[in-house]
Amino acid sequence: MIKIPRWSFITFFLILVIAVFAPMGLSRSPQETVAKPFAPPAWTGGDAPPPFSAVLSPSQGIVVLDWEWEAPENISIKGELVFEGYSVSKLVWTTPDGRTFTLASFQGSGKWPLDLDGRDITFKTALGIPPLANALPLLFPSRGEHRVSIEGDIPSGGSLNLTLPGGKWGLMGTDQRGRDVLALFIMGIRVSLLVGISATLLASFFGLSIGLTSGYLGGVVDSLVMRTVDVLLSIPVLPILMVIVGIWGKGLWQLVIILGLFSWMGTARTVRSLALSLRESCYVENLRSIGASPWYILYRHLLPEAMPVLLATISLGVPGAILAEAGLSFLGLSDPRVISWGRMLHEAHGFGAFTAGAWWLIIPPGIGISIICLVFLDMGRSIEEMADPRLKGSLRQ
Amino acid sequence: MRSYWIRRAIGAAAVLLLVIAANFFLFRIMPGDVVSSIVDPRFSPEAKERMREVFGLDQPLLRQFVIYVRRMLTFDFGISFLSQRPIWDELRSRVPNTIALLGSALLISSALGTWLGVQAARKRGGITEKVVLISGSISFSFPSFFVQLVLLLFLAYTLPVFPLRGSVSIPVPQGAIDRMLDYIWHLLLPAGSLVLLGFGSWAIYVRNLMVKTLGEDFILLARAKGFSESRVLWNHAFRSALPPILTIFLLALPGIVSGAVITETVFSLHGVGKYLLDSIMGHDYPAAGAAFYILGLLTIISNLAADAAYAIADPRIKVGRRAGM
Repeated sequence: MIKIPRWSFITFFLILVIAVFAPMGLSRSPQETVAKPFAPPAWTGGDAPPPFSAVLSPSQGIVVLDWEWEAPENISIKGELVFEGYSVSKLVWTTPDGRTFTLASFQGSGKWPLDLDGRDITFKTALGIPPLANALPLLFPSRGEHRVSIEGDIPSGGSLNLTLPGGKWGLMGTDQRGRDVLALFIMGIRVSLLVGISATLLASFFGLSIGLTSGYLGGVVDSLVMRTVDVLLSIPVLPILMVIVGIWGKGLWQLVIILGLFSWMGTARTVRSLALSLRESCYVENLRSIGASPWYILYRHLLPEAMPVLLATISLGVPGAILAEAGLSFLGLSDPRVISWGRMLHEAHGFGAFTAGAWWLIIPPGIGISIICLVFLDMGRSIEEMADPRLKGSLRQ
Repeated sequence: MRSYWIRRAIGAAAVLLLVIAANFFLFRIMPGDVVSSIVDPRFSPEAKERMREVFGLDQPLLRQFVIYVRRMLTFDFGISFLSQRPIWDELRSRVPNTIALLGSALLISSALGTWLGVQAARKRGGITEKVVLISGSISFSFPSFFVQLVLLLFLAYTLPVFPLRGSVSIPVPQGAIDRMLDYIWHLLLPAGSLVLLGFGSWAIYVRNLMVKTLGEDFILLARAKGFSESRVLWNHAFRSALPPILTIFLLALPGIVSGAVITETVFSLHGVGKYLLDSIMGHDYPAAGAAFYILGLLTIISNLAADAAYAIADPRIKVGRRAGM
């Protein structure tokens, strides 16, 4: 009979696949603005325009926009038209009530590069309005058919892209800079996994070395190490981490090292008690009697013996590291260039997601952190059960 | 009894010394001139030289450390870079807020958790037990700030039942009772969220201990003697499970202090944790060190209080035998 692995192993595998491959599938950088700030997810109700884009080209010289909403946040027209020979041409905007605006005009030959943005001062002066005024209500005075057309000589090549940011976006909406929250969310998986796993591996390495040495050597070393563990366990870790990050810097790898340095205590305790009991066992005594060095016994016999327990401690330790990373990022003590779930919550808290009622900025990263933590907790428990089948009953009681 | 207290006092002193040493060395290993971690870099060279003398920076490291320890113990933390005021003056108004938050959250969550845990152990398989198990797994895996942000979003913005930020309303209401009620109103959501996150794991732990204790022979004996069920439950089972419960209280303390730092940030409370974060963000090193020291001190004092409770709860300490921990 094939045993189906626990749900957590399957979920972990899925998360891993998403973390590795999904960012490659993103068509644009997650830092890019895709819609207006705090746009709600597209599947929510409410009257807001979807994002709009169209292409103007020599064959398609006119775009008709049936606009049923308030004026959009912005308008942008980007691209390049090519003219053969001397030509006179202009880009004209027509509103439903028949007014026309010349957005840009061209005289000459060759390439006509265009990069128009509704917020640019040159764009506004071309429309004849003050630099601080908003151009969009002028272009979108009422609901109905709006038109953009190339008038005058017909270009021979090139194209222009017209885009209007929507009032709704995608599966998870946008953040305060109009970035796609889904893309940010997917990028955040990487940081959580990377920091969580590598910090825990580092901590386990420290814990293993310290625990094995302390348990096997015993005596003064042991009591010294255990007192240190007691003291470290009775100091709140987060304030220490905050101070160190504040002094040392907010980089990702610095964070991993700091987290590793302050979370080895639990592993050290577990491994020590294991080493302590193994030290008294008959086979270690036999090894000693045939002249094996302590080093040999530690790394050839005690280490493999401690492995399953260690694997479980690693898995159970990852949630702690992930939560610590998320906590520090939430407090703003992380690299602002690195997208992480904690950072997303920090920005949501600090940049007015509340006043915008933007729950879609808070729920996804929070749920993401919780799911990853639950997955690692469950994996740790099932590894523990594999290592020690007696646990099975007691946990399920 | 006496040896127990001597051991505890030495332990507390060791932790205190470690906190002070961490403070002392952390701010000295940072890149650049040592003076810049203690004296505002914008000071004139003469003023810096003067500060060097005042803080004893021209003396050997060990001597500096002794001076530092003395200053920490007398709450002489120096001048804040950001506000140019004595740091202790700024911290003094914040300490009561942090104590109120920590104290109320700890007391309520431990009382609620203990009660629920005992009830869950009494009626295995009941609703109480399910609630305990579910709330426990929530508190293990949900990040505290996420839960708090959600609470803030729904109970302060969408439904404006609670205040958005701060420890008091501005302007401060007149009258002692109004001020008190206003303070409690501001504390309700932060402390409540800490309780919500804390009682679950607490209840699970108490439940497991009580289930184990209720299966022991002396409980059977107590029942055979014909004692009432509540007497068996509280006077016999709970009484003997109390020392390990207090041990877990001790172990949970540092985590709760860490949680208070985040809580104060989420709810913008006027507390020590928020001060720590603001100081770190503003590179105000003496202030950050002082806030860290105060948080450490709060932990140590609560530790000692729990030790005192332990000494009362565990009769073995009174007769001088080493407690089984």
